[in-house]
Amino acid sequence: MSIKDRLSKELFEPDRKETEGEILFFRLFELFVMSYVIKLAWEWGYYMVRNSEVVLPLGVANYIDVSFMFEHSISLINAALITLIVIAAFFRRGSRWQYFIAMLLFHLQYVGRFSQGEIPHSANLIGLSLLSFGIGFIFFRETLKQRRFIFGTIIFFTGLGYTSAAFAKLISTGINWADGNHLWLWIAEKKTDILSRTGTFQYNWLQELALYSRPAATVILAIGWITELSGVLIWWRSLRPYVITGIIMMHIGITLTMNIRFDAFIYELILIGYPWAALIDRYISYIPGAQYAQKLNQ
Amino acid sequence: MNLFKQRAFKILMGTFVVYGILVATHKGEFWPFSIYPMFSQAGNPWTRAIVRDVTHTPDSLVWETTDLEHIQGSKVALKKVGVDQIDFSNFISKTEQWDTNRKNALIRMFGPKNLGNSRWVISKVRGRLTAHDSVIVEVVPFLLVKRDTVLTNPLLPKNSYVILP
Repeated sequence: MSIKDRLSKELFEPDRKETEGEILFFRLFELFVMSYVIKLAWEWGYYMVRNSEVVLPLGVANYIDVSFMFEHSISLINAALITLIVIAAFFRRGSRWQYFIAMLLFHLQYVGRFSQGEIPHSANLIGLSLLSFGIGFIFFRETLKQRRFIFGTIIFFTGLGYTSAAFAKLISTGINWADGNHLWLWIAEKKTDILSRTGTFQYNWLQELALYSRPAATVILAIGWITELSGVLIWWRSLRPYVITGIIMMHIGITLTMNIRFDAFIYELILIGYPWAALIDRYISYIPGAQYAQKLNQ
Repeated sequence: MNLFKQRAFKILMGTFVVYGILVATHKGEFWPFSIYPMFSQAGNPWTRAIVRDVTHTPDSLVWETTDLEHIQGSKVALKKVGVDQIDFSNFISKTEQWDTNRKNALIRMFGPKNLGNSRWVISKVRGRLTAHDSVIVEVVPFLLVKRDTVLTNPLLPKNSYVILP
Protein backbone atom coordinates (compact mmCIF):
# COMPACT_ATOMS: atom_id res chain seq x y z
CA MET A 1 0.00 0.00 0.00
CA SER A 2 1.44 3.40 -0.97
CA ILE A 3 1.89 6.22 1.55
CA LYS A 4 -0.92 8.08 -0.21
CA ASP A 5 -3.30 5.13 0.18
CA ARG A 6 -2.31 4.51 3.78
CA LEU A 7 -2.65 8.19 4.72
CA SER A 8 -6.05 8.61 3.08
CA LYS A 9 -7.23 5.40 4.74
CA GLU A 10 -6.16 6.70 8.16
CA LEU A 11 -7.63 10.16 7.63
CA PHE A 12 -10.86 9.41 5.77
CA GLU A 13 -11.60 5.88 7.06
CA PRO A 14 -13.39 4.78 3.85
CA ASP A 15 -13.87 1.21 5.06
CA ARG A 16 -15.39 1.97 8.46
CA LYS A 17 -19.09 1.23 8.77
CA GLU A 18 -21.35 4.20 9.39
CA THR A 19 -22.93 4.10 12.85
CA GLU A 20 -25.51 6.12 14.74
CA GLY A 21 -22.77 7.13 17.16
CA GLU A 22 -20.78 8.66 14.32
CA ILE A 23 -23.80 10.56 13.01
CA LEU A 24 -24.75 11.90 16.42
CA PHE A 25 -21.19 12.78 17.41
CA PHE A 26 -20.58 14.61 14.14
CA ARG A 27 -23.70 16.73 14.59
CA LEU A 28 -22.60 17.60 18.13
CA PHE A 29 -19.12 18.44 16.85
CA GLU A 30 -20.64 20.63 14.14
CA LEU A 31 -22.77 22.35 16.79
CA PHE A 32 -19.63 23.00 18.87
CA VAL A 33 -17.72 24.51 15.94
CA MET A 34 -20.59 26.67 14.74
CA SER A 35 -21.38 27.91 18.26
CA TYR A 36 -17.77 29.02 18.60
CA VAL A 37 -17.86 30.68 15.17
CA ILE A 38 -20.91 32.72 16.20
CA LYS A 39 -19.42 33.58 19.61
CA LEU A 40 -16.13 34.77 18.10
CA ALA A 41 -17.82 36.65 15.25
CA TRP A 42 -19.75 38.76 17.77
CA GLU A 43 -16.82 39.21 20.19
CA TRP A 44 -14.59 40.42 17.35
CA GLY A 45 -17.41 42.52 15.92
CA TYR A 46 -17.97 44.38 19.19
CA TYR A 47 -14.23 44.90 19.72
CA MET A 48 -13.73 46.33 16.24
CA VAL A 49 -16.05 49.25 16.89
CA ARG A 50 -13.30 50.98 18.88
CA ASN A 51 -10.56 50.41 16.31
CA SER A 52 -9.76 53.36 14.10
CA GLU A 53 -6.62 52.47 12.15
CA VAL A 54 -5.08 49.36 10.63
CA VAL A 55 -1.69 48.86 12.30
CA LEU A 56 -0.93 45.39 10.93
CA PRO A 57 -2.67 44.17 7.75
CA LEU A 58 -3.28 40.40 7.87
CA GLY A 59 -4.64 38.05 5.20
CA VAL A 60 -6.94 39.81 2.78
CA ALA A 61 -6.21 43.12 4.56
CA ASN A 62 -2.94 43.15 2.61
CA TYR A 63 -5.02 43.88 -0.49
CA ILE A 64 -8.05 45.83 0.71
CA ASP A 65 -8.28 48.50 3.38
CA VAL A 66 -10.36 46.80 6.07
CA SER A 67 -10.78 49.99 8.12
CA PHE A 68 -14.28 50.21 6.54
CA MET A 69 -15.17 47.47 9.05
CA PHE A 70 -14.66 49.92 11.94
CA GLU A 71 -17.42 52.33 10.89
CA HIS A 72 -21.24 52.23 10.71
CA SER A 73 -21.41 48.98 12.73
CA ILE A 74 -20.28 47.02 9.65
CA SER A 75 -18.43 44.57 11.90
CA LEU A 76 -21.71 43.85 13.72
CA ILE A 77 -23.61 43.49 10.45
CA ASN A 78 -20.94 41.00 9.35
CA ALA A 79 -21.34 39.10 12.64
CA ALA A 80 -25.11 38.95 12.07
CA LEU A 81 -24.57 37.69 8.50
CA ILE A 82 -22.17 34.99 9.68
CA THR A 83 -24.66 33.95 12.36
CA LEU A 84 -27.58 33.66 9.93
CA ILE A 85 -25.59 31.79 7.28
CA VAL A 86 -24.11 29.36 9.78
CA ILE A 87 -27.45 28.62 11.46
CA ALA A 88 -29.14 28.03 8.10
CA ALA A 89 -26.27 25.77 7.00
CA PHE A 90 -26.47 23.83 10.25
CA PHE A 91 -30.11 23.05 9.56
CA ARG A 92 -29.24 22.27 5.93
CA ARG A 93 -31.22 25.15 4.54
CA GLY A 94 -29.93 27.01 1.49
CA SER A 95 -26.90 26.44 -0.69
CA ARG A 96 -24.04 24.03 -0.12
CA TRP A 97 -21.68 26.99 -0.52
CA GLN A 98 -22.90 28.53 2.73
CA TYR A 99 -20.21 27.32 5.11
CA PHE A 100 -17.55 28.45 2.64
CA ILE A 101 -19.13 31.89 2.32
CA ALA A 102 -19.36 32.08 6.12
CA MET A 103 -15.63 31.26 6.19
CA LEU A 104 -14.81 34.18 3.88
CA LEU A 105 -16.84 36.56 6.07
CA PHE A 106 -15.25 35.06 9.19
CA HIS A 107 -11.79 35.68 7.69
CA LEU A 108 -12.77 39.31 7.11
CA GLN A 109 -13.94 39.54 10.72
CA TYR A 110 -10.61 38.14 11.95
CA VAL A 111 -8.40 40.46 9.89
CA GLY A 112 -10.51 43.44 10.95
CA ARG A 113 -10.37 42.55 14.63
CA PHE A 114 -6.69 41.67 14.64
CA SER A 115 -5.47 44.59 12.58
CA GLN A 116 -3.99 46.19 15.70
CA GLY A 117 -0.72 44.26 15.74
CA GLU A 118 -1.58 41.07 17.59
CA ILE A 119 -1.59 37.75 15.66
CA PRO A 120 -3.36 35.30 17.96
CA HIS A 121 -3.71 31.64 17.04
CA SER A 122 -6.27 30.57 19.64
CA ALA A 123 -9.11 30.56 17.08
CA ASN A 124 -7.16 28.94 14.23
CA LEU A 125 -8.59 25.48 14.82
CA ILE A 126 -12.14 26.83 14.78
CA GLY A 127 -11.41 28.74 11.56
CA LEU A 128 -9.80 25.69 10.03
CA SER A 129 -12.80 23.56 10.98
CA LEU A 130 -15.23 26.02 9.37
CA LEU A 131 -13.07 25.99 6.24
CA SER A 132 -13.11 22.17 6.22
CA PHE A 133 -16.90 22.21 6.49
CA GLY A 134 -17.00 24.70 3.63
CA ILE A 135 -14.84 22.59 1.33
CA GLY A 136 -16.51 19.33 2.37
CA PHE A 137 -19.99 20.62 1.60
CA ILE A 138 -18.96 22.01 -1.78
CA PHE A 139 -17.25 18.86 -3.04
CA PHE A 140 -19.34 16.08 -1.49
CA ARG A 141 -23.08 15.59 -1.51
CA GLU A 142 -23.42 12.38 0.48
CA THR A 143 -23.47 13.02 4.21
CA LEU A 144 -21.17 10.10 5.00
CA LYS A 145 -18.52 11.40 2.58
CA GLN A 146 -18.92 14.95 3.86
CA ARG A 147 -18.32 13.77 7.43
CA ARG A 148 -15.30 11.63 6.64
CA PHE A 149 -13.70 14.32 4.48
CA ILE A 150 -14.30 17.15 6.95
CA PHE A 151 -12.99 15.19 9.91
CA GLY A 152 -9.95 13.91 8.03
CA THR A 153 -9.08 17.39 6.79
CA ILE A 154 -9.29 18.85 10.29
CA ILE A 155 -7.04 16.07 11.62
CA PHE A 156 -4.55 16.58 8.77
CA PHE A 157 -4.11 20.33 9.28
CA THR A 158 -4.14 20.09 13.08
CA GLY A 159 -1.26 17.59 13.06
CA LEU A 160 0.59 19.55 10.40
CA GLY A 161 0.23 22.78 12.41
CA TYR A 162 1.92 21.41 15.52
CA THR A 163 4.78 19.81 13.62
CA SER A 164 5.35 22.93 11.52
CA ALA A 165 5.52 24.95 14.77
CA ALA A 166 8.33 22.65 15.98
CA PHE A 167 10.20 23.07 12.69
CA ALA A 168 9.70 26.85 12.76
CA LYS A 169 11.51 26.88 16.13
CA LEU A 170 14.33 24.74 14.79
CA ILE A 171 14.73 26.91 11.69
CA SER A 172 14.48 30.28 13.48
CA THR A 173 16.58 29.54 16.57
CA GLY A 174 18.24 26.15 16.20
CA ILE A 175 18.73 23.30 18.61
CA ASN A 176 19.37 25.67 21.54
CA TRP A 177 15.76 26.88 21.32
CA ALA A 178 15.04 24.85 24.45
CA ASP A 179 17.68 26.65 26.55
CA GLY A 180 15.97 27.47 29.87
CA ASN A 181 16.95 31.15 29.91
CA HIS A 182 14.69 31.66 26.89
CA LEU A 183 11.79 30.59 29.08
CA TRP A 184 12.90 33.13 31.71
CA LEU A 185 12.68 35.88 29.11
CA TRP A 186 9.17 34.75 28.04
CA ILE A 187 8.00 34.54 31.64
CA ALA A 188 9.17 38.14 32.16
CA GLU A 189 7.28 39.14 28.99
CA LYS A 190 4.09 37.44 30.12
CA LYS A 191 4.46 38.93 33.60
CA THR A 192 4.46 42.36 31.92
CA ASP A 193 1.36 41.42 29.91
CA ILE A 194 -0.54 40.30 33.01
CA LEU A 195 0.51 43.42 34.92
CA SER A 196 -0.71 45.49 31.99
CA ARG A 197 -4.00 43.59 31.78
CA THR A 198 -4.93 43.28 35.45
CA GLY A 199 -2.50 45.48 37.38
CA THR A 200 -1.22 42.58 39.52
CA PHE A 201 0.88 39.44 39.01
CA GLN A 202 2.04 36.43 41.04
CA TYR A 203 4.26 33.56 39.96
CA ASN A 204 2.75 30.06 40.14
CA TRP A 205 4.67 26.92 41.18
CA LEU A 206 5.77 25.97 37.66
CA GLN A 207 7.06 29.47 36.91
CA GLU A 208 8.93 29.50 40.25
CA LEU A 209 10.48 26.11 39.44
CA ALA A 210 11.54 27.31 35.98
CA LEU A 211 13.02 30.54 37.35
CA TYR A 212 14.81 28.70 40.17
CA SER A 213 16.50 26.14 37.93
CA ARG A 214 17.74 26.66 34.38
CA PRO A 215 17.94 22.87 33.75
CA ALA A 216 14.31 22.52 34.87
CA ALA A 217 13.30 25.35 32.50
CA THR A 218 15.25 23.61 29.71
CA VAL A 219 13.44 20.31 30.35
CA ILE A 220 10.04 22.09 30.26
CA LEU A 221 10.83 23.63 26.86
CA ALA A 222 12.32 20.41 25.47
CA ILE A 223 9.23 18.37 26.41
CA GLY A 224 7.03 21.00 24.76
CA TRP A 225 9.08 20.95 21.57
CA ILE A 226 9.07 17.14 21.29
CA THR A 227 5.30 17.11 21.85
CA GLU A 228 4.81 19.65 19.06
CA LEU A 229 7.09 17.72 16.73
CA SER A 230 4.97 14.59 17.22
CA GLY A 231 1.87 16.45 15.94
CA VAL A 232 1.64 14.64 12.59
CA LEU A 233 1.33 11.31 14.43
CA ILE A 234 -2.35 12.14 15.01
CA TRP A 235 -2.86 11.25 11.33
CA TRP A 236 -2.72 7.61 12.52
CA ARG A 237 -5.91 6.57 14.29
CA SER A 238 -4.21 4.21 16.74
CA LEU A 239 -1.80 6.91 17.97
CA ARG A 240 -4.27 9.80 17.97
CA PRO A 241 -5.61 9.61 21.57
CA TYR A 242 -2.09 9.37 23.05
CA VAL A 243 -0.58 12.19 21.00
CA ILE A 244 -3.62 14.42 21.56
CA THR A 245 -3.35 13.78 25.31
CA GLY A 246 0.29 14.90 25.14
CA ILE A 247 -0.67 18.04 23.19
CA ILE A 248 -3.41 18.90 25.68
CA MET A 249 -0.90 18.52 28.53
CA MET A 250 1.46 20.80 26.59
CA HIS A 251 -1.27 23.47 26.32
CA ILE A 252 -1.85 23.24 30.06
CA GLY A 253 1.91 23.66 30.52
CA ILE A 254 1.89 26.76 28.26
CA THR A 255 -0.98 28.20 30.31
CA LEU A 256 0.93 27.63 33.55
CA THR A 257 4.32 28.93 32.39
CA MET A 258 3.29 31.71 30.02
CA ASN A 259 -0.30 32.51 30.97
CA ILE A 260 -1.51 31.92 27.42
CA ARG A 261 -4.88 30.17 27.24
CA PHE A 262 -5.99 28.10 24.28
CA ASP A 263 -9.51 27.18 25.43
CA ALA A 264 -11.05 26.63 21.99
CA PHE A 265 -8.05 24.53 20.96
CA ILE A 266 -8.26 22.32 24.05
CA TYR A 267 -12.03 21.76 23.73
CA GLU A 268 -11.70 20.86 20.07
CA LEU A 269 -8.69 18.62 20.68
CA ILE A 270 -10.75 16.75 23.26
CA LEU A 271 -13.49 16.30 20.64
CA ILE A 272 -11.29 15.18 17.76
CA GLY A 273 -8.78 13.19 19.80
CA TYR A 274 -10.83 10.43 21.34
CA PRO A 275 -13.21 7.77 19.99
CA TRP A 276 -16.42 9.49 21.11
CA ALA A 277 -18.49 7.94 18.31
CA ALA A 278 -17.63 4.42 19.49
CA LEU A 279 -18.47 5.40 23.05
CA ILE A 280 -21.85 6.77 21.94
CA ASP A 281 -22.52 3.54 20.02
CA ARG A 282 -21.86 1.52 23.14
CA TYR A 283 -24.30 3.50 25.25
CA ILE A 284 -26.69 4.73 22.55
CA SER A 285 -29.74 3.02 23.95
CA TYR A 286 -29.40 5.16 27.12
CA ILE A 287 -29.14 8.47 25.23
CA PRO A 288 -32.50 10.21 25.01
CA GLY A 289 -33.32 11.34 21.50
CA ALA A 290 -30.42 9.47 19.88
CA GLN A 291 -32.80 7.70 17.53
CA TYR A 292 -33.42 11.10 15.95
CA ALA A 293 -29.78 11.39 14.93
CA GLN A 294 -30.48 9.88 11.54
CA LYS A 295 -33.29 12.36 11.01
CA LEU A 296 -31.10 15.30 12.00
CA ASN A 297 -28.57 14.18 9.46
CA GLN A 298 -30.94 14.42 6.51
CA MET B 1 -15.57 4.21 -1.29
CA ASN B 2 -12.27 3.71 -3.07
CA LEU B 3 -13.12 6.51 -5.47
CA PHE B 4 -14.10 8.68 -2.53
CA LYS B 5 -10.72 8.04 -0.88
CA GLN B 6 -8.88 9.13 -4.02
CA ARG B 7 -11.03 12.19 -4.57
CA ALA B 8 -10.82 13.23 -0.92
CA PHE B 9 -7.03 12.93 -0.99
CA LYS B 10 -6.84 15.03 -4.17
CA ILE B 11 -8.97 17.78 -2.64
CA LEU B 12 -6.95 17.65 0.58
CA MET B 13 -3.71 18.00 -1.37
CA GLY B 14 -5.22 20.85 -3.39
CA THR B 15 -6.07 22.62 -0.12
CA PHE B 16 -2.57 21.88 1.15
CA VAL B 17 -1.03 23.51 -1.93
CA VAL B 18 -3.22 26.61 -1.44
CA TYR B 19 -2.14 26.62 2.24
CA GLY B 20 1.53 26.39 1.20
CA ILE B 21 1.26 29.23 -1.32
CA LEU B 22 -0.66 31.50 1.06
CA VAL B 23 1.62 31.07 4.09
CA ALA B 24 4.77 31.24 1.97
CA THR B 25 3.73 34.58 0.47
CA HIS B 26 2.33 36.11 3.69
CA LYS B 27 5.12 35.63 6.23
CA GLY B 28 3.69 32.35 7.51
CA GLU B 29 0.21 33.71 8.31
CA PHE B 30 -2.98 33.67 6.26
CA TRP B 31 -5.74 32.96 8.74
CA PRO B 32 -6.78 30.30 9.49
CA PHE B 33 -3.64 28.92 7.86
CA SER B 34 -0.41 29.37 9.76
CA ILE B 35 2.98 27.80 10.22
CA TYR B 36 2.60 28.85 13.90
CA PRO B 37 5.82 30.84 14.11
CA MET B 38 5.05 32.28 17.58
CA PHE B 39 7.87 31.70 20.05
CA SER B 40 10.07 30.39 17.24
CA GLN B 41 12.69 33.10 17.79
CA ALA B 42 13.94 32.42 21.28
CA GLY B 43 16.04 34.85 23.30
CA ASN B 44 15.10 37.93 21.26
CA PRO B 45 14.57 41.21 23.12
CA TRP B 46 10.91 42.21 23.40
CA THR B 47 8.96 45.42 23.94
CA ARG B 48 5.56 45.65 25.64
CA ALA B 49 3.61 48.56 27.08
CA ILE B 50 2.04 49.26 30.43
CA VAL B 51 -0.21 52.04 31.75
CA ARG B 52 -0.05 53.64 35.20
CA ASP B 53 -2.13 56.37 36.79
CA VAL B 54 0.29 59.17 37.75
CA THR B 55 -2.29 61.77 38.77
CA HIS B 56 -0.73 61.98 42.24
CA THR B 57 2.87 61.33 41.22
CA PRO B 58 5.26 64.34 41.40
CA ASP B 59 6.19 65.66 37.95
CA SER B 60 9.87 65.06 38.64
CA LEU B 61 9.26 61.29 38.88
CA VAL B 62 6.78 60.78 36.03
CA TRP B 63 9.44 60.36 33.31
CA GLU B 64 11.87 58.31 35.39
CA THR B 65 13.09 54.99 33.91
CA THR B 66 12.65 52.14 36.41
CA ASP B 67 12.27 48.36 36.61
CA LEU B 68 8.94 46.54 37.00
CA GLU B 69 9.28 46.39 40.79
CA HIS B 70 9.76 50.16 41.24
CA ILE B 71 7.31 51.49 38.67
CA GLN B 72 5.71 54.89 39.40
CA GLY B 73 2.01 55.57 39.96
CA SER B 74 -0.93 53.32 40.73
CA LYS B 75 -2.20 50.43 38.65
CA VAL B 76 -4.46 50.74 35.60
CA ALA B 77 -5.94 47.39 34.50
CA LEU B 78 -6.46 47.54 30.73
CA LYS B 79 -9.01 44.73 31.00
CA LYS B 80 -11.26 47.02 33.05
CA VAL B 81 -10.91 49.73 30.40
CA GLY B 82 -11.92 47.17 27.75
CA VAL B 83 -8.61 47.21 25.89
CA ASP B 84 -6.71 44.09 24.86
CA GLN B 85 -3.21 44.48 26.32
CA ILE B 86 -1.46 42.77 23.39
CA ASP B 87 -3.21 45.06 20.91
CA PHE B 88 -2.22 47.96 23.10
CA SER B 89 1.44 46.91 23.32
CA ASN B 90 1.59 46.51 19.56
CA PHE B 91 -0.11 49.83 19.00
CA ILE B 92 2.53 51.54 21.15
CA SER B 93 5.59 49.66 19.94
CA LYS B 94 4.73 49.43 16.23
CA THR B 95 3.56 53.01 15.69
CA GLU B 96 6.41 54.77 13.92
CA GLN B 97 4.98 58.26 13.60
CA TRP B 98 3.13 59.75 16.56
CA ASP B 99 1.06 62.25 14.62
CA THR B 100 -2.23 63.78 15.77
CA ASN B 101 -4.25 60.86 14.33
CA ARG B 102 -2.33 58.29 16.33
CA LYS B 103 -2.57 60.36 19.52
CA ASN B 104 -6.32 60.77 19.07
CA ALA B 105 -6.67 57.05 18.35
CA LEU B 106 -5.02 56.43 21.72
CA ILE B 107 -7.48 58.67 23.57
CA ARG B 108 -10.33 56.95 21.70
CA MET B 109 -8.96 53.54 22.65
CA PHE B 110 -8.96 54.40 26.38
CA GLY B 111 -12.19 56.36 26.17
CA PRO B 112 -12.27 59.95 27.54
CA LYS B 113 -14.77 58.75 30.18
CA ASN B 114 -12.25 56.28 31.59
CA LEU B 115 -9.56 58.94 31.61
CA GLY B 116 -11.72 61.47 33.45
CA ASN B 117 -9.53 64.10 35.12
CA SER B 118 -6.63 61.76 35.71
CA ARG B 119 -3.36 61.50 33.81
CA TRP B 120 -1.99 58.17 32.68
CA VAL B 121 1.57 57.46 31.69
CA ILE B 122 2.25 54.82 29.05
CA SER B 123 5.62 53.15 29.38
CA LYS B 124 7.49 50.92 27.00
CA VAL B 125 8.69 47.86 28.86
CA ARG B 126 11.80 46.31 27.35
CA GLY B 127 13.16 42.88 28.23
CA ARG B 128 16.43 41.27 27.13
CA LEU B 129 18.94 38.62 28.07
CA THR B 130 22.30 39.89 29.34
CA ALA B 131 25.71 38.48 28.47
CA HIS B 132 25.58 36.71 31.84
CA ASP B 133 22.32 34.90 30.93
CA SER B 134 20.09 36.85 33.28
CA VAL B 135 17.00 38.84 32.28
CA ILE B 136 16.85 42.64 32.46
CA VAL B 137 13.52 44.47 32.24
CA GLU B 138 13.38 48.26 32.06
CA VAL B 139 10.33 50.51 32.10
CA VAL B 140 10.70 53.68 30.01
CA PRO B 141 7.87 56.25 30.29
CA PHE B 142 6.84 57.18 26.74
CA LEU B 143 3.57 59.12 26.61
CA LEU B 144 1.46 61.04 29.12
CA VAL B 145 -2.24 60.86 28.29
CA LYS B 146 -4.97 63.20 29.51
CA ARG B 147 -8.58 63.38 28.38
CA ASP B 148 -7.78 65.99 25.72
CA THR B 149 -4.06 65.75 25.08
CA VAL B 150 -1.09 63.41 24.70
CA LEU B 151 2.41 64.56 25.75
CA THR B 152 5.75 62.99 24.85
CA ASN B 153 8.68 62.26 27.19
CA PRO B 154 11.02 65.32 27.02
CA LEU B 155 13.96 63.16 28.14
CA LEU B 156 13.76 60.91 25.06
CA PRO B 157 15.29 61.89 21.70
CA LYS B 158 12.81 63.34 19.19
CA ASN B 159 13.27 60.43 16.76
CA SER B 160 11.63 58.16 19.34
CA TYR B 161 8.31 59.56 18.09
CA VAL B 162 8.85 60.28 14.42
CA ILE B 163 10.83 57.90 12.28
CA LEU B 164 11.82 59.84 9.20
CA PRO B 165 11.98 57.99 5.86
